Amino acid sequence: MTLELYHNILGPYLNARYILYVNVIAQPSDYLKTLTTFMFFHSFWSPGVDVCSTVCAVEDDISQCASSALNGFKAWSVLSCYQRAKVLLRLVSVLGQHGQCVSELCELCGASCSSSTLIRQLQYYSSWAQLRDTLITNWTPLGVVAVVVSDDCSLYSLMLKVLPALAMGNSVIIVPGLNTAPPALLLAQLFIGAGLPAGALNVLTGSDMSLCAKVAQNPNISHVTYSGNKQDGVMLCKATAGMGVPLSVSPCIGATCPFIIFESADIDSAVDEVIETAFKKKREVHWVLCVQESIVDSVVTRLKLRMAGMKCVALRSDGDRVLVDAAIQEAQQQGATLIQPCSVPPSGAQYPPTVLCGAAPSSPFVVCPAPGPLLPLMTFRTHTEGVTIGNHTPHGQAASIWTEDLTLALETARSLSVGSVWVNSHSVSDPCMPVSGHKDSGTCTDGGQEGLYQFLRLRSSPPPLPRSSPVSMDYSNFGTAACPAIIPDDSDPASAPKPYPQFVGGKACKSVSGCSLAVQSPGGSGVLAYCPDGGKKDVRNAVEAAIKVQPGWMKKSPSARAQSLYSLAKGLEAKRRDIAASINVQTGLSMDEAEKEVELGIARLSDWAAYCDKVQGGALPMPQSGSALSFPEALGVLGVVLPDKNPLLSMVTLLGAAIATGNAVVMVPCQKYPLPALAFIQVLQSSDLPAGLVNIISGGRDQMTVALANHSVIKAIWYWGSAEGCQYLQHTCTSPLKTLRLFCQKDEEGKDEGKDWTQSHPSFMEEMWRNAVQWKSVWIPTA
Amino acid sequence: SSYWHDCMHQNLEWVSKVRVNTQAVLKRAQHIQGQKIPKKQWQAAWLLKAVTCIDLTTLAGDDTPSNIHRLCLKAVQPIRYDLLKKMDMHNKGVTTAAVCVYPSRVGEAVITLKAANSSLPVASVATGFPAGQTPLETRLQEVRMAVAHGASEIDIVINRKLALAGQWEAMYDEIHQFREACGDAHMKTILAIGELGTFTNIYKASLVAMMAGSDFIKTSTGKEVVNATYPVAIVMVRAIRDYYLFTGQKVGFKPAGGIRTAQESLLWFTLIKEELGNDWLCPHLFRLGASSLLADIERQIYHHVTGQYPAYHELPMA
Repeated sequence: MTLELYHNILGPYLNARYILYVNVIAQPSDYLKTLTTFMFFHSFWSPGVDVCSTVCAVEDDISQCASSALNGFKAWSVLSCYQRAKVLLRLVSVLGQHGQCVSELCELCGASCSSSTLIRQLQYYSSWAQLRDTLITNWTPLGVVAVVVSDDCSLYSLMLKVLPALAMGNSVIIVPGLNTAPPALLLAQLFIGAGLPAGALNVLTGSDMSLCAKVAQNPNISHVTYSGNKQDGVMLCKATAGMGVPLSVSPCIGATCPFIIFESADIDSAVDEVIETAFKKKREVHWVLCVQESIVDSVVTRLKLRMAGMKCVALRSDGDRVLVDAAIQEAQQQGATLIQPCSVPPSGAQYPPTVLCGAAPSSPFVVCPAPGPLLPLMTFRTHTEGVTIGNHTPHGQAASIWTEDLTLALETARSLSVGSVWVNSHSVSDPCMPVSGHKDSGTCTDGGQEGLYQFLRLRSSPPPLPRSSPVSMDYSNFGTAACPAIIPDDSDPASAPKPYPQFVGGKACKSVSGCSLAVQSPGGSGVLAYCPDGGKKDVRNAVEAAIKVQPGWMKKSPSARAQSLYSLAKGLEAKRRDIAASINVQTGLSMDEAEKEVELGIARLSDWAAYCDKVQGGALPMPQSGSALSFPEALGVLGVVLPDKNPLLSMVTLLGAAIATGNAVVMVPCQKYPLPALAFIQVLQSSDLPAGLVNIISGGRDQMTVALANHSVIKAIWYWGSAEGCQYLQHTCTSPLKTLRLFCQKDEEGKDEGKDWTQSHPSFMEEMWRNAVQWKSVWIPTA
Repeated sequence: SSYWHDCMHQNLEWVSKVRVNTQAVLKRAQHIQGQKIPKKQWQAAWLLKAVTCIDLTTLAGDDTPSNIHRLCLKAVQPIRYDLLKKMDMHNKGVTTAAVCVYPSRVGEAVITLKAANSSLPVASVATGFPAGQTPLETRLQEVRMAVAHGASEIDIVINRKLALAGQWEAMYDEIHQFREACGDAHMKTILAIGELGTFTNIYKASLVAMMAGSDFIKTSTGKEVVNATYPVAIVMVRAIRDYYLFTGQKVGFKPAGGIRTAQESLLWFTLIKEELGNDWLCPHLFRLGASSLLADIERQIYHHVTGQYPAYHELPMA
């Protein structure tokens, strides 16, 4: 079977249809033989000839593959850490023998990846496989992980998902893109040769994203992770919404990244490097050159001189040529001047490297970059303006900054809202660097120890989402059901239910609409209180206030944040009776038990205060010489739809996690038991937290979910609610991408397993704060 | 040459603003070393080109008229005649660019070359070569005497003390005086990069040397611990490019010290072509300071022509 696979894929009969998944046990002699065959044939291939053809997997293949992956998971996860590490290391030596073959196949498929890069990845993750149980206790693998990449994704990005998943003990189904399919098949084959249990690594090839949705639909899959371009990522989000499978997205292709040259830079080096990276035939990001005004002339002169003699760059298609021509024409109409080393060929899929001088952030070719070797050049006046221009894009993937001034370099690195900052360098990637896509550039962290948690879950908590089939729902109608009108019963003013305010921008207030909701008493026997019926406008006001104070809050020293949290705990202690009473009337819990929950809440806030200066990055062990640093950064503004269970304790736990790590938060009390959260407003009012950092808006859960989902500033949503709500969020939060933590809580009383909020295990807290931060890596190479 | 005086302030600012990022330069050097080198007849052509750029050098304490004589005659016929003939290059006047000797040996070199009917220039090192630690007056006198003995190219060494102390103006003044002492002779300024400490200093020294009127800037004397390396060359040629951008003047570049193989000479051409462009690929603007390099190039050419590797005694010694 193995032999057949190889013979067919790599042999001269290129148009045949063959097997799509590799889950067979290969004899060592078999794979060696097939490799020889491959080496023999590849010498006959010439550029432009199809390397091989793969076909689309069908339903049978998927279910067969998924069940083999489940068996693979069983066999793989029972192995000891040492045994798993050994398999990864054995692949290193296999690659030592066949590295040439792998990199040549990659080259032929247009997914170039040197074997030394692969070896570095394998070595890095084999050590994590070895130390998983030693250094990451209380976490367990997810099960079967589907790794999906788009056609234009590199093998490096693919393996940056596959290897950590395997190292942590998951089994993997790779759904590769066109470019990565042949090398992925070959690597899977080599892996099995290196002793990976059958089924632990599977490759399913197909033609488009619809295959991925079918794979995700399979109940054996525990997690789907995606790397590639944004469009396919969004399609995948929409297609998998409601399947009950968590999806993490790293849209690493096609982001706009600033290349910032300050006046204190080594201009010659900066110019050489930007020319090297911006005009590549295959480039993963769109660079925008930002140059300080004082040196723009000398940069432009050097660009002209250094680009002289460069030849035309091949475009992907004639269609691209049309786009490039249109972009250039538009740019020239707006007064941009061009630097081109040679004349533009009248037609054909090639174009000379072109710098578009006189670009502005509003230029169409900056807003919507065309394919091809085009590099917009913008100027800025001051360091601060450089950062502002660099940050003013929807993307937050990476930036390259050039300066010899250490202070400026570090300040700029901290201020740029991107996952990777390369100082005096560019496009450096290494598996030891934890990188989260900021803003629209991703919903997860890849690389480093931090990236491993994508493929792990807490031993103590069950999977958050039950597997389900997407229900057909009208997304535009979700959350629009009118709430029942309230007819106040004021026959007896003494016993009339109390109206509670909500908390927006540091002020207790009514909802913008002025409407209220009735809060039912635990037995459902009567109206307990009225709470505001918040909506879009309330969320808008809250976010407005939050973004004013959040950057300042994040910049505060950790100990200052800790002080504020300690005083919040103290404030809760002062109002413990009131709060306990609200729990008591709301949930029907005895006063003793209610006080115990408040007690736990006070302890929890103190825990978070203590965590403030314990959440930290560090120096990374890069193989090259230089300094690599990682920083945990706040996500920004978080939206939280609170769980029903332990209404006070769960709220202070999530609130603490969010603000201890520097975020601002907009919280929606659970619709069932909103009173403890609303009672907590008085504690917040007397605290010294900046006004707007914490907002509490009550209202219909679905209605509020819609309001949070449709505010682009909110970077993440933690949601406890219905399956439809989860599906709605997965479907809606795609542009910009939001990091979603979804928990489907069952509505029937007493059956809710959920999280145990009373536990105070360190890894329970760790999971919380890891969800509340995103990572940035800064690379400063030195000689 | 009065450029400095015209805009002293501007030039000082130019020098002070220089920044060089070491790792980026090292990376660039590595990139260039990874470039493909021409093969077969193209390689042979480049090697002949390299021969014409060599300053065939002997700078030893035991130099006497007899080895200077040998060196000069080798410089005039650097490649065996029959080999050149096979390549149809025998009547193209393939000689080295110059011979380079100590000041006291200039006279003998001039006589030998004259006797051989050659107009090959004689270059002389001067100004207290290699350390430059002699009084300014004697250094100037050394230049004048070398010129008087018939040297048409003078390789001066800079005063490292001034460079390391950042006294660029003083260094400019010294070099400018050497320039005047040279008269019509070409002046090549040796920066002794192995003793300048940082890339930034090398860049600055290059700029000052050019401002003071050098026709060439040269990496090293061959007597320091570190000599011509590719990263240093990148820094220097970038300075040359910078100077050209500002003034429109093309200054030459001469790596010297430690260049021994034909392979290396090809890499040097690659570097110049990449960084400065084709204009600099001629003896007017590019020289290789070397002594044993020529023997290796001749061997490679022998191999190209005959298909076999020669023993050293098959090729005339220098």
